[in-house]
Amino acid sequence: MLPPKTTNDGFPTPTSLSQSETEEMLIKHIPDDTSQKKPTLDKKMHMSFLVRNLVQGFPERYISQDASQPWLLFWTVQAFSVLQVGLDPGNKQRIIDKVLAWQHPDGGFGGGPGQAAHLLPTYASVCILAIVGRPGPGGGWDQIDREKMYKFFMSLKLKDGSFLVAHHSEVDVRGIYCLLMVATFLDLLTPELVEGTASFVASCQTYEGGFASSSHPSYSLSGDVLPPPAARPPLGEAHGGYTFCALASWVLLQPYLELSQEKPTIDVSNLLRWLVHMQGTFIELGGFKGRTNKLVDGCYSWWCGGSFALLEALGVGGIQNANSDEVPIDSGTGDGVWDDVDEGLYNRMALQEYIIYAGQHPTGGLRDKPPKNADAYHTLYCLSGLSSAQHHVFPSHLRKKQFLDSWKSSDSTKDELRKRSFGSILSWIEEEGASHILGGTENRLNATHPLTNLTITHTEAITAHFYEQDVPAKQRSAPTPTRAAAATA
Amino acid sequence: MPRKLDFDDSLFADLPEWADVTPVEQYEGVNPVAPIFYTPEYTDATNYFRAIVQSGEKSERVLDLTENIIRQNPAHYSAWQYRYETLVSLLPTPTPSSHPLLTAEVELMDELAVLFLKTYQVWHHRRLLVQITREPQRELDFIKKGLQVDSKNYHTWSYRQWILGFFGGKGSISKEGDEEIDEDLWASELDFVDTLLATDVRNNSAWHHRFFVVWACGVREGEEDRERVLKRELIYAKQAISLAPSNPSAWNYLRGILAHTNTPFSSLVTFAEAYAYPRESVDAKQRDIVDLENPLPSESADLPCAEAMEFLADAWEVEGGQEKIDAAVTMWTALANERDVMRKKYWEHRIRDAHLGLRGGQKKTTTA
Repeated sequence: MLPPKTTNDGFPTPTSLSQSETEEMLIKHIPDDTSQKKPTLDKKMHMSFLVRNLVQGFPERYISQDASQPWLLFWTVQAFSVLQVGLDPGNKQRIIDKVLAWQHPDGGFGGGPGQAAHLLPTYASVCILAIVGRPGPGGGWDQIDREKMYKFFMSLKLKDGSFLVAHHSEVDVRGIYCLLMVATFLDLLTPELVEGTASFVASCQTYEGGFASSSHPSYSLSGDVLPPPAARPPLGEAHGGYTFCALASWVLLQPYLELSQEKPTIDVSNLLRWLVHMQGTFIELGGFKGRTNKLVDGCYSWWCGGSFALLEALGVGGIQNANSDEVPIDSGTGDGVWDDVDEGLYNRMALQEYIIYAGQHPTGGLRDKPPKNADAYHTLYCLSGLSSAQHHVFPSHLRKKQFLDSWKSSDSTKDELRKRSFGSILSWIEEEGASHILGGTENRLNATHPLTNLTITHTEAITAHFYEQDVPAKQRSAPTPTRAAAATA
Repeated sequence: MPRKLDFDDSLFADLPEWADVTPVEQYEGVNPVAPIFYTPEYTDATNYFRAIVQSGEKSERVLDLTENIIRQNPAHYSAWQYRYETLVSLLPTPTPSSHPLLTAEVELMDELAVLFLKTYQVWHHRRLLVQITREPQRELDFIKKGLQVDSKNYHTWSYRQWILGFFGGKGSISKEGDEEIDEDLWASELDFVDTLLATDVRNNSAWHHRFFVVWACGVREGEEDRERVLKRELIYAKQAISLAPSNPSAWNYLRGILAHTNTPFSSLVTFAEAYAYPRESVDAKQRDIVDLENPLPSESADLPCAEAMEFLADAWEVEGGQEKIDAAVTMWTALANERDVMRKKYWEHRIRDAHLGLRGGQKKTTTA
C-alpha cells in the first residue's frame, strides 16, 4: 500500500502544488511490496562517477564553481573516503600540490590560484590535506602557514563576535563553522579569536528552532555592539545548512565556554523539534527538507540528519545521555521497557531508503531528488548522510578521558583551552555493533566524524600532528551504561 | 574607448588597450587533477584578472574586466571583491549619490540581480553599494519585484531584513551621520507580508519576515501596545490555520509568538482542540458555537491535524500533573502510532522525558 499524500486541506497554494508534484515523482521510486530486489547502494557506479571527475575533470558548466575549486576536490576525495577507498601516492601528491597552489601569500586559502583568501575554501583545503596529506616536506601539512592563517582569521573578526567570510564579504555561520574547524585542527584556538562568537551563533537561532544565516549586529553609532536587550534579529529563516554550521560551531565552542565568563544559551528542545520536523513523511521516503514547507533534498541528509549526532554532545539522545535505562513507556509499542534509546531521535532507516531509492542517479553519482542530475556536492552529502544514518558515532566520555590522560603538557599559558579542545574533538568514536544498515553490509560506508565530516582516522591524525600529541589506542568502545539489546544490521 | 564586455569573439589578449598586461596562467608548474574545462573566453579573462591582482592596478578598465568575469561566473568572489575595491578607489569622498560611476554600478546590479538571483555575491555587492548611496527605500522596492519572481529566495529575504535592520534599526546612522531610526522604511512591511501570504499561506519565508517585523526588531511606532499586537497576531495566525490547518509555517509562527511573549500554550487549548480530533467529535462539540477568537477548521480541512495534536500535548506537558501528562502521552502515542509515524522515535522520546519529569527525575534541560 502506498503511503498517503500530504494533505492540502482543500486549499491549494503554490507551495502545496510543488509539494504534490514532488510526491508524484517520488512515489515512482518507492519499490512495490512484491519486489524481491534488495536495496542496493551502487558503489561501483558512484566510484566511476568520482574517478571520472578526478581524472578527466569537470565539464564546462562547472565554470560556475571555478571559485570553489577546493570544494569540488574536497567533495570528491571525501566521497572516496566514505566509500572506503584510498588514493594511490601519485594522485595524493598531485592533489597536495594543487591544494598548496591555493594558499594565499597573506594567509588562508582561496578558491583557486590567485584568488583571494576566503574561509570556505580554507576549510575545504585543510580538509583535503587531512585526507591526502602528511607531515614533512611536500606533504602539505607543514606547508600551511599557521601564523598567517591566524592573522587572516583575526582580520575578518567583527565586534559582534562574527567573522566576514573574506574581506569586503558577507557574514554567515558557514564561515564561522569553517573557521572554527580549521582553528581546531591547526591548534589556533585562542580566547581572543573566539570571544563573542558563541553569542553571535546563539543569536542566529530563530523562533522555529533552527538557525539562520546570520543575525543583525545592532551596532551603535560608535560601532560598539549594543548590550541586551537590543534586538539582534536573525537574518533569514531557519535553514538546514546554516543549522548544521551553527550547531557544529556551538559544539566546537564548548571547551572555550567551559572556561569563559560568557554564558550564552540556545534552545536545544526547540532545535530538536525543528530538526525532527525537517524529515519528510513516508511518501517523501523519509528524506530531509532544509526549511519548513520546502521540498526534500538529498544534501539535507547530512546537514539535518547529521545534526542529530551533534545534539548528543549537548546531552540530547544517545545512551550516554539516558537518565535511566528502564523508564516505562506506554505508547503501546515494544514491551514497555525502553531498551533502545540509542537508536536516535529520527527515522534512520527511512532516510537510508530516500538516499538509496531516490538519491542515486541511474548513471552514477548522487543527487538532490529525481529527476535531477548528480553532482559532486550532492554525491558527498548524500553519502555522508547515509553513513551518519548507518552508524552511531558519539562523544565518548571514556575516549575523551584517554586523550586528556595522555596529554603531554607544554608551558603555554593557553594550554587548558588547547587540551580541552583536543580531547573534545577526538572524543568521538563509533559505537561498535550499533550499525543499522539498510540492504545489509554490502551497503556499509565508512563512519564519518559528526563535526568534521572526515573519517575518525583522518581527524585524529591531522589533529594529533598539530597539537604534537599521540593518539592512544582505542579501548573497547562500548558506551556506558552497557546496551540492553544488541542491534541488528 | 572600446569596451570588452559582451561575449563577442574578441579576447582581452586581442585588445590593444590590454597589450601592456602580461596574462598569468592559473597553474604554473602543476599538472592539476580534477581540472575544469574552461571556455577560451573564461581562461582569457581570468588570466588577465590574475595579472591585475598581482600588479594591484585599480582603474576603470578593471571594472570592464571584472564585469566580464562576473557575467561568465557570478560566484567569482575575488572578482567582486576586487571590483568593489577598484570602485571605491575611483570614487571621491564623500561620494555624491549621483556620481556617474556609482549610478552605473547600481544599474548594473539591478540587471545582474535578476540574472543571478541565487548568487551570494550579487546581493552582498548591493549591500556594499547601498552603504554608499544610502537609498534603502529604492532597495526595498527593488527586492519586492525580485520576490515576485522567487518568493522564497533566501538571499533576497535576508538582504531585505538587513536593509531594515541597518537603516531602520536601533543604532542605524542617517546620511547626516546622526543616529536615527527610519520608521518610514517599515511602513509597508506588514502589507507586503499580507500580500505574499494571501498568495501562498504556506510561504515560510513570509511568515519568518512577519516575525522579524513584528517581534524580532524591537517595537515600531504605533505598535507600543504589545497586548494589542499579540492579540492581533494570534488572530492572524489562527485564521491562517483555519484556512489550511496542516501548515507547519503558521503553527510555528503561533508557537513562536507565544514563546516570545511568555504566553503559556495552555491559553490556546480551546482553539487547538477543534483541530486535534476527528471531524465528527469536533462538530458535535462545537457546531453551534461562533467564536471569533477561536475560528474552526474549514470544511475541507483534513482532521485530525498533527500540528494541533502536538500543540495540545506540549501545552499539557507544561501544565503538568498526572492527569495532564497522561493526556499528553495519549496524544504523543496517537502521533507515534497513527498520525505521524515517521517521527515515532521523537514522540517516544517526549513520552519518556515527560515521565522523567513527573517522577521528579532530572528532566532534559531546554538550553545549553
